[in-house]
Amino acid sequence: MEEDKISLRQYFVKFGTAVKNGNIFTKLSLIIMGMGHWANGQYIKGCIVTGVEALFIWAICLIGGTYWPKLGTLGTVQRKEQFDPLTMQKTVNNFDNSLLILLFSIVGIVIAFFFALYYIYNIKKIYEVQQRKEAGLHVNTFKEDCREMINGKFYVTLLGLPTLGVIIINVIPIVFMTCIGFTNYDIDHQPPTYLFTWVGLKNFHTLFTSSVSDSFGYVFIRILIWTLIWAIVATFTTFIGGIFLAKFINDKRTKLPAMWRTFFVITIAIPQFVTLLLVGKMFGNNGIVNGICSQIGLTGFLEDLGIISKGLGYIPFLSKPGWAHVMIILINIWVGVPYQMLSATGLLMNIPTDQLEAAKIDGASERQIFWKITMPYIMFVMGPSLVTSIIANINNFNVIYLLTTDYTTTNMRFANSHGNEVDLLITWLFRLTNNYSNFKMASVIGIITFVICVALTLLSFSKFLQGDREEEFQ
Amino acid sequence: MKKKIVSLLLAASMVATLGACGSGSSSKDSSSSSAASSDSTAKADDPVQTLIKNTTGTVDLTLWCSETKEYQTVMKEIVDNFKKEYSDVDFNITIGSESEANTKDDLLKDVEAGADVFAFADDQTNELVKAGALQEVSTTYTYDPKETDTDGSLEAATIDGKVYAYPMTASNGYFLYYDKSVIPDEDAGSLDKILADCEKAGKTFGMEVSNAWYLYSFFKGAGLEANLNDDGKTTDCNWNATDTDPTGAQVAEAITAAAKSKAFKNLGNDDQMAAIKDGKMAACVNGTWSSQTVSDAWGKNLGAAKLPTFTVNGKQVQMGSFSGYKLIGVNAYSKQTGWAMLLAEYITNAENQMKIFKATGEGPANKEDQQSSDVTSSPAIAALNSQAEFASLQRVGANFWTPGNSLGQSLVEGKYSDAQKLLDEAVEGITAEVK
Repeated sequence: MEEDKISLRQYFVKFGTAVKNGNIFTKLSLIIMGMGHWANGQYIKGCIVTGVEALFIWAICLIGGTYWPKLGTLGTVQRKEQFDPLTMQKTVNNFDNSLLILLFSIVGIVIAFFFALYYIYNIKKIYEVQQRKEAGLHVNTFKEDCREMINGKFYVTLLGLPTLGVIIINVIPIVFMTCIGFTNYDIDHQPPTYLFTWVGLKNFHTLFTSSVSDSFGYVFIRILIWTLIWAIVATFTTFIGGIFLAKFINDKRTKLPAMWRTFFVITIAIPQFVTLLLVGKMFGNNGIVNGICSQIGLTGFLEDLGIISKGLGYIPFLSKPGWAHVMIILINIWVGVPYQMLSATGLLMNIPTDQLEAAKIDGASERQIFWKITMPYIMFVMGPSLVTSIIANINNFNVIYLLTTDYTTTNMRFANSHGNEVDLLITWLFRLTNNYSNFKMASVIGIITFVICVALTLLSFSKFLQGDREEEFQ
Repeated sequence: MKKKIVSLLLAASMVATLGACGSGSSSKDSSSSSAASSDSTAKADDPVQTLIKNTTGTVDLTLWCSETKEYQTVMKEIVDNFKKEYSDVDFNITIGSESEANTKDDLLKDVEAGADVFAFADDQTNELVKAGALQEVSTTYTYDPKETDTDGSLEAATIDGKVYAYPMTASNGYFLYYDKSVIPDEDAGSLDKILADCEKAGKTFGMEVSNAWYLYSFFKGAGLEANLNDDGKTTDCNWNATDTDPTGAQVAEAITAAAKSKAFKNLGNDDQMAAIKDGKMAACVNGTWSSQTVSDAWGKNLGAAKLPTFTVNGKQVQMGSFSGYKLIGVNAYSKQTGWAMLLAEYITNAENQMKIFKATGEGPANKEDQQSSDVTSSPAIAALNSQAEFASLQRVGANFWTPGNSLGQSLVEGKYSDAQKLLDEAVEGITAEVK
């Protein structure tokens, strides 16, 4: 951390020296960015840099002029229309669109931020070239600069596009959706017809309050707990299941291993949502499984035992809390194990044989070999991917949503916040936005999910990816 | 440091999908064509001629209607006729598939990119108007719905005294279907008798009580109310009343008592249809959309009637219902408001409502059409008409549904200890402020 601070200070100190010690042209570059390049004989580069500056100024005038002044209020002029029954034409006033104001303001801020970085970099670069020139060293021509981009500094060229992509498809949407959490964007404030505005931390407050009719807090805590339980259980059951399955198939005594493996891979070949919808129907209250159960008398037997309530007439596989929780995890094992089996198979085949043989010579039993050599090896290699699967499971929309389309909660507090016992944060969020246009609360839930995922990732990656782990394993 | 950035980005991309919802919007000022200054030479009393005159180039329109084959075919025919009617103008009309039940959800995702003309179920009127998505029907050009369509259907299209849509069909409510070979006509008027007959025959009766839309029927029948408040968002509901006769708790207990019958099945539409095809179900509360399946299964034994009475506190009470209409709306953000309005009018005029009835079996909202022998001879429409006096318009706020569904589920399961407490909590949820 200390290191980071120092390097950040140096960053600005270097910029200061460049401005202070630079010659007149370097100083002039503060206004016209290409000036220094021109003075140093880098004409094309100077033109490009000045062009970028002009483009930036144009963009900022456009965005800054139109949207930034309204960022504080997110717009004040509501849409009004006038229909002329005689000409059948409509006139609309020049209205504000809160959504666009917010979006373009953020885009503008991101552009300005990156331009500022580039601006500082440019001055430093010019100062550097000025020093080289004063020292009588060679100054790169434009051609040489270009060549350097595909040779010495090829990594910069290579990373340029992905970085741009990350900014456009990740950073801007995330900042944007985060901002929604601090507004009152909901069913009553839907642009373009209506305006929404900032409300501060009110939505976060709503998320943590709890009464019968205002039960976001109650529902949030329960859904959060189930989400975490689900993520951990779902990840580890499929993980362990996959390893055991791979181990069994790879065993020398197993006949036709390729055939068994193919059978399991076929389940992957069917699109997951088809499988889930079908399985959901099969285990429905009137599905085929319930039909069989009631015919063989299992339903009646369970009713007699008092495990399901009398007169229900079916086993509530996917329609009662508890039952549904267990079933979802079981179905997920069935859907998820083949994937884990595939990756575990690859791993098992690559375990260093010298270690296994040495262990055998030393007289270790199969079980000892598995727990002392195979498992640590698998954990070492698969550890980081486990973390990503936990995060993927926190956001595992498909399994939960498709299996519980018919679920109706009998808990009023869940119903009053449009959630239910088997919802994950993400499915709850989906229902809030899709069915109830409650974007502000959905955004708040999204932010919390994000924080949880980031925290998990940081924690576990710093644990799994410490540099000396490999030696430790050996 | 680098590691941290990588992990941060990783986590970010996990959640990035969240950002994908509803951020796309087209350019800002796509407000409809600025009023072309009205041509002073055009006859002021004939706006349609003025519009034709002022129209240059191709008129692009999108129409959303139900995805069923029947609807798609009949709409194609109507649209083709519309083009012939205004043959001076070059149209490019696209017909999209959009179930009327989902129109609101899909339209409001991006209203500026939505269809110009769309069909929707009348329960969405309020929220569509709230979102400013509906063009007010302030003037009509080819016919006047106020004169030709039924009062109920117009009321369904009206918010705060302003009409916002054109009535298309008037049969989106529910009623009773029964198999005459199991339930004699004289028994179809009473839920107790229906259930008894079904039990005797080893068959079942289906009604989706865990759907607030159907649950309403019991409470409404007993005189308890659920209505939209004046603010247009929240619901006023007295299902937990203790000073009415019968009280809310008595109605709740009556529902649970009926649901205790072995024959009573709380099933959704698909499951009901499957059970009827299998020959397991002998009666159900359903709508015109199922008439084909039901008549295929029961043939000449098909019976349709108003909803039965049910027993509350020893007395017989007639079940109420929600009436339902399908309306045609014009997008307030349409770039071709004039043509969109004319198309909407054309689809819903008397002749085309009849066409739609013949193609889909859904009853017209037009008064004259309703009198035609074709319509009156349809058993489903006749049943709906006899239910009409007990039906009321569906005007409830957004918070009616989830708590209502949950209440229905609890009542069917009957595992609550105190009906009053259950109702109190449900009503608190239903009447809660919309957040």
